[in-house]
Amino acid sequence: MSTAQASELAHEHEEAPRASTRVYVEIAVVLTVLTVLEIWAFYVPAVQPILIPLLMVLSGAKFALVVMFYMHLKFDHRAYTAIFGPLLTLGAFIVIALMIILAYFLGAPPTA
Amino acid sequence: MRPMVLKARRSRLIPPLACLMLAGCAPLQGPLSTFILDSDSARDAYHLFRYTFIWDVIIMLTVLVPLVLALFVLTPKKSGGAGHEAEGHAGSTRWLEAAWTITPALILISMAVPSIRLTFQYQPKAPPAGALRVRAIGHQWWWEFQYPEFHLTVADELHIPAGRAVYFDLESVDVLHGFWAPELGGKRDTIPGHVNHLTYTPDKPGEYFGECTQFCGLSHANMRFRIFVDTPEKFAAWVKQQQASPATGQGPNPKIEAGAAVFAAAPCVACHTIEGVSKGYIGPNLSHIGSHQTLAGSILPNTPENMTKWIHNPDALKPGAQMPALGLDPVETSDLVAYLESLK
Amino acid sequence: MAVAIPQEAVRGRENYLREGGLLSWLITIDHKRIGVLYGLTSLGFMGLAGIEALLMRIQLAQPDNHFLSADVYNQFFTMHGTTMIFLVIMPLGLGFFGNVAMPLQIGARDVAFPRLNALSYWIFLFGALFMYSSFLFGGGPDAGWFGYANLTERFFTPGTRVDFWAIGLIILGFSSILGSLNFFVTIVNMRAPGMTFMRMPIFVWNILVASILVLVAFPPLTVGLIFLVMDRFIGTHFYSTVAGATPILWQHLFWIFGHPEVYILALPAFGIISETIPCFSRKPLFGYAAMAYATALIGFISYGVWGHHMFASGMGPIADAAFSLSTMIIAIPTGIKVYSWVATTWGGDFVKNTSFYYALAFVIQFTIGGLTGVMHAQPAMDLQQNGSYFIVAHFHYVIGGGSLFAFLSGIYYWWPKMTGKMMDERLGKLNFWLICIGFNMTFFPMHILGLGGMPRRVYTYGAGFHWAFWNMFETVGAFVMGVGILVFVIAIIQSLMSAETAVADPWDGRTLEWSIPSPPPIYNFAEIPHVHSKDAFWEMKHGRAQESRQPAAQPEHGAGGHGIHMPAPSLFPILLAAGLALVGIGAIAWLRITFVGVLIVYLAIIGMGFEYGTYGEHPSKERGDDAFPLDSRKVGMWTFIGSESLFFASLIGTYMVYKGRDLVGPTAKEILEIPLTSFSTFVLLMSSLLMVLALAAFERGNIRAGRNWLFGTAGLGCVFLGGQAYEFTKFFREGVTLQHNLFGQTFYTLVGFHGLHVLLGVIWLLTLAFASFKGMVPKKRALAVEFGGLYWHFVDIVWIVIFSLIYLMDKVTGA
Repeated sequence: MSTAQASELAHEHEEAPRASTRVYVEIAVVLTVLTVLEIWAFYVPAVQPILIPLLMVLSGAKFALVVMFYMHLKFDHRAYTAIFGPLLTLGAFIVIALMIILAYFLGAPPTA
Repeated sequence: MRPMVLKARRSRLIPPLACLMLAGCAPLQGPLSTFILDSDSARDAYHLFRYTFIWDVIIMLTVLVPLVLALFVLTPKKSGGAGHEAEGHAGSTRWLEAAWTITPALILISMAVPSIRLTFQYQPKAPPAGALRVRAIGHQWWWEFQYPEFHLTVADELHIPAGRAVYFDLESVDVLHGFWAPELGGKRDTIPGHVNHLTYTPDKPGEYFGECTQFCGLSHANMRFRIFVDTPEKFAAWVKQQQASPATGQGPNPKIEAGAAVFAAAPCVACHTIEGVSKGYIGPNLSHIGSHQTLAGSILPNTPENMTKWIHNPDALKPGAQMPALGLDPVETSDLVAYLESLK
Repeated sequence: MAVAIPQEAVRGRENYLREGGLLSWLITIDHKRIGVLYGLTSLGFMGLAGIEALLMRIQLAQPDNHFLSADVYNQFFTMHGTTMIFLVIMPLGLGFFGNVAMPLQIGARDVAFPRLNALSYWIFLFGALFMYSSFLFGGGPDAGWFGYANLTERFFTPGTRVDFWAIGLIILGFSSILGSLNFFVTIVNMRAPGMTFMRMPIFVWNILVASILVLVAFPPLTVGLIFLVMDRFIGTHFYSTVAGATPILWQHLFWIFGHPEVYILALPAFGIISETIPCFSRKPLFGYAAMAYATALIGFISYGVWGHHMFASGMGPIADAAFSLSTMIIAIPTGIKVYSWVATTWGGDFVKNTSFYYALAFVIQFTIGGLTGVMHAQPAMDLQQNGSYFIVAHFHYVIGGGSLFAFLSGIYYWWPKMTGKMMDERLGKLNFWLICIGFNMTFFPMHILGLGGMPRRVYTYGAGFHWAFWNMFETVGAFVMGVGILVFVIAIIQSLMSAETAVADPWDGRTLEWSIPSPPPIYNFAEIPHVHSKDAFWEMKHGRAQESRQPAAQPEHGAGGHGIHMPAPSLFPILLAAGLALVGIGAIAWLRITFVGVLIVYLAIIGMGFEYGTYGEHPSKERGDDAFPLDSRKVGMWTFIGSESLFFASLIGTYMVYKGRDLVGPTAKEILEIPLTSFSTFVLLMSSLLMVLALAAFERGNIRAGRNWLFGTAGLGCVFLGGQAYEFTKFFREGVTLQHNLFGQTFYTLVGFHGLHVLLGVIWLLTLAFASFKGMVPKKRALAVEFGGLYWHFVDIVWIVIFSLIYLMDKVTGA
């Protein structure tokens, strides 16, 4: 085992945190701000036309921040990203495929 | 119309093999054969099948012939570790790999084009102009057919005119069923809470068999139907006859009248409609049952004996049948049968 | 240079089969033994499925036959299909061959998680027995192996039959997912030094892709089954039209699983054939790279073709066309495989033994099945074939003539390695010809019957359809095949009784398993081999380039050095599996048993978690790999999380599909409380911050701080759960129950399952926190905290999606 790899291994398990407490707290602040933005968007009528894309962007950003920093994908070996990424994509694919196919199949929703 | 392929092949065979072939091909000659092509839909599906089948045979040969050659004809290179050399030569056969990637792709494209054209053709956004509209409703385990155009409801035996497109609205009152009359075209499931569609144009008059092709419970096997394709004139006459109140034969007949009384007094009326007598809707409409060819989901020929057996114990003929055994005595049963058979 | 069989192996514990008594098999965690257990169990169930099939064939031999009643026939075809797919072909392909051959082929001493491996087996066994016990309590399941809703609803199928089926499948799903997760991590992380992905035996490639498919395919099935169980047990309406739902949802969830499943059954078979054909043609596999890519491509595409099972359901021409095209595309990589096998035989110097015969029959029969598959890919044609015996012929050619024949080839191939005995060739040829002729007699005429309109799943048919001749012919064929299987069993017994001992490398093999004794020692490899090319063992035996390379066998962990650490046997897997079975039994019999089961499961998990006393001394950690310096458990954790995201995707997809289709209110927009949920969201986000701080503290060795952060995290989790409890209670009071409308059932299920994950997370973190009091989580075991943390953050990101998608996005659709 080469020294480079050995140090990588060591880095992963032995060394101190991949980011400082300060970074973690900053991320938490950003997450809070993004959440507040989401709720703001929900309540402000002017934003309604773009609510769905806006929420998708905001929640996507939150999702990415947690995964990258709190779950350490940004710092860890990229094999983990290579495992999680495709599975997550397939998950999104299922949701979208089910929505499209069954929306077509079921027709317009009943008007209550 | 029998496909030409079969005839030609049969004539050239030696007798014993011919017998086997005859027995072998019997399923393809009806009455549920996908090789009998009496509508546009059945014909198109068959042509697609024939085209794909020819390619399948060719592709199968491209697998079999090299295998046979390699096994029985080719002299092996004697190897110790020598066989391993082939690794180097794998590079020089890249053209081979390209060939068996690209050629199948081209063949598939040649299949996909007509196939997808037909997919759209037989699922039109609106019913074809002038189509006869039929609601086909699946029940455990029989079929109900409604003609909105004529305000008619019949069970298990559908009449349609030749040469006119028919557009089915397929529905179900309980579980999934599959509506399939192979000689007239492909199947479609009936799904509760949903209306599916199916359309084809039958070519010529004839009697066609149909069956349920989606497992629907205990008596799935006993859920058949008939489609009678009539000439337009005969169809018009049939509609007229069905729209009229049932004719109970000529003159008063005490047996038939007794049977009518049995029917009215028994629980029959709760489930069955007879025009002018009862309005039950859970079971099949019996208004013109005497003019039917078959009984009980088209599993039995309509004879007094079969009807007697059916009324005596439905469950014996169709396990799980929702119609109960009524416990009528033989005289009552015979009267009832006489009455029902008289409903032309 | 010849490979020396290590001296240690001769002296030491040389035979994995002989170690310990019969009871030791109950607690074994040796992959080879677990493989043998899988094999025996599957063959036993194959016997049952075969008997069911023969009885069905007797019934169908004549028109209007009365040998079996409709009821019994329906149970038999349902259980024949369910058994063959879930209890025979899948466990044989992955559980048996995967366990017996894969770790040996990659030069590993065991799989990444040996105890998890045992756990998968025991769950499989108990799940299978659970499902079959249905026959003792009012008859076997009888709704078909794909159990189309709404026939499976309690209204149409009362009794416990479908309950046993659905719960049994959920239990079996756990087994499959755990087993595949294990294989995935093993292949990714445990390959011998130098064995890059492009040097792996092609069998390993196929197991890898099949494992990934299990991980992505089973979560949707599990969700579908959970809906079914809820419909049946607590009266929700996921598949019934009463509240506006559609039974078609089941078909989608089932086939999203069901089509990848076909490749889960087929890929291990492809892998076996890719080993036996080259071996007995005495040539390397033709087009290795193309084979590897084709395998991956098949796996990938197979996730987007499920609709071809549903052309008759009326998805509309656009979806039909899309699924038709994607299905046709999959024929291309499959064709590459078939032609590569054929090309491998070209110019070969054949060893014409039984294994090779089965392999050749596989190629031909599988190709027939594949070619009829191309027909079913075309909707207009499929509508004339779907639901008929043509389909029955098709999938028996693929799975029977394909997978099963490949497995027989594989059994003959690896038998000497597994048992140290040879199988008799004359009996072998006899059972080959009987099975092959019987198989084709049985299934080839089904093509004709199908084209002649014979529908599948009918217990009887009339004489007027001209189906009688071929049906009788098929029944005769089925019995010929049955005799063939009997001869096979005799051949097995005869071999086991024989004295003949197999040498280590009877076939002049190409892969690493042939470099060790037959049967292998418990530790497989006395010295972990170094790999310099594909066909590693062939290279060692015959390669010329060897001398120019570095010393070949560089012992990494020699037996002489600090010895071989093999994990100790464990009682917990079988205990945990028994607990899981109790959960299922309780659901049907008496709910209190379920709680006992849950308790046993929890205690067994704790036991397993701390069994080795320490994290990090686990054998999987024993050696990192040159190529992949990863921790197996972390790879496993991420894989698990990925698989879980498909679980939630299926739940979210269902919510979105039914959104706005309620027949009665109140629905989301009228009832959801944004302020409360915003607070909950904030709480959960902050808990993630505390979690990451806890991990950092443990990694620094500050156990006290870490523990406090853990308590904080769990506390915030409890606050979140409290908010959820409040919300649910309030909704219940307003009349929105699980049974009330589509919103109620989809909302409670999705958010409820998320809540359940939070609850599990809280229990997990608290367990860690309390364990840290006992000094069980020191700095060097911070990874334990990291795993809990990953799970916790995953729960958080799921909530991020739920919050926007369910709570916030609703206003627009409503307005």
